[in-house]
Amino acid sequence: MRALAAAAAGLAAAVALVLALTALGRPAPGDGPPRPLLSSPPAHP
Amino acid sequence: MLLALAVCCTALSPLLRLYAVPRLVAVPADTYQAVVMEAEDATLVDYATLRARRVPRLVMVQSLRGDVPAARRIKAATGRDVVVWDTLVHAATSDGTLVSRIPERYVFDARTQQPVHAGGEHVDGTPVTRDGIEYKWPFFTEKRDYRYFDLMTRTSAPIHYKGTRTFHGLTVYRFEQTIPWTPVPLPRQLPLGVTPETVTAMGLERWYSTTRTFLVEPVTGAPVDGEELHREEMRWTGQPEKDPVPAFSGHVRMRADYVRHTVAQVAGQRRLILLLRSWLPWGLPPLGAALLAAALILEARDRRAFRDPGAHDGGKPERVTPAQGARGATATQGGPP
Repeated sequence: MRALAAAAAGLAAAVALVLALTALGRPAPGDGPPRPLLSSPPAHP
Repeated sequence: MLLALAVCCTALSPLLRLYAVPRLVAVPADTYQAVVMEAEDATLVDYATLRARRVPRLVMVQSLRGDVPAARRIKAATGRDVVVWDTLVHAATSDGTLVSRIPERYVFDARTQQPVHAGGEHVDGTPVTRDGIEYKWPFFTEKRDYRYFDLMTRTSAPIHYKGTRTFHGLTVYRFEQTIPWTPVPLPRQLPLGVTPETVTAMGLERWYSTTRTFLVEPVTGAPVDGEELHREEMRWTGQPEKDPVPAFSGHVRMRADYVRHTVAQVAGQRRLILLLRSWLPWGLPPLGAALLAAALILEARDRRAFRDPGAHDGGKPERVTPAQGARGATATQGGPP
């Protein structure tokens, strides 16, 4: 019984970790002012 | 605790590979980047004299910017994660004199990089419908030919896999596309205020040919280097016997500092993708098995100790109490009859 509980806890932890990683791993794209398309080379990459 | 960790590690493997990776490995909607390419000792047409001239250096700035609100609208309408890129290829001589300027809008699936026809795609203001990739290959690029959209002809043509090599420490696939001499539209923005209508009125039409090569890092699908043998001619409409005017001829290459920057960026992205898709999914199950083995070994030791307490305390003889010792001595000596 104790082993079953431990296994269930481990599985729940794995699911929670993956859900958190997926939610945090794709940050919402910024809506700030659009940067310009360039007509001269930038100073550096 | 060890058992819980073992199950957690083992379960993480398929969850990462099958759930997290398909959602995380995608082109972000708010990309912004610029690449500078140069052609040394290039040939250009002088529209004032209609003669070819040599320039020491032609600079092409290719910038792209993600249109996030447009991507959101298309996702709301189609349910697909898409990327909408507005791009500009601005070519000028080293003193800043405009040669050509071609804007473009490219809409594609964020995961597969296949074009999405949700409206708004154009090249230089002319609507187009793409059927191939452009700028970026799919994640986990395969060793096969793809169809690549050519900006000048506004059509797609095969781009052939030509082999694998190492470039700045990265394994890359080399792809090559050749566009034979093809009539193409003139850019809407030309030097000296010249317009496409002006050029057509002079009895000229533009023809173009190129051989382009990309080195593509296969895990990310990102080109880390590119070059093009680009040629353009102004031919006399209906007069093939007249000599054409060379409009542009040059070997265009990515500038070295942009190559280094791109390689460093792509190498980091490659490591992250491999961590999620391969290193963790393959490494976690053996770790889980080791933790499970440790848990079972410790459990077996605990159970053995519970059954045999002596064995548990190192096999020392049980301590005899004084009362037990006295009873034992009387029995040995023989009791009263």
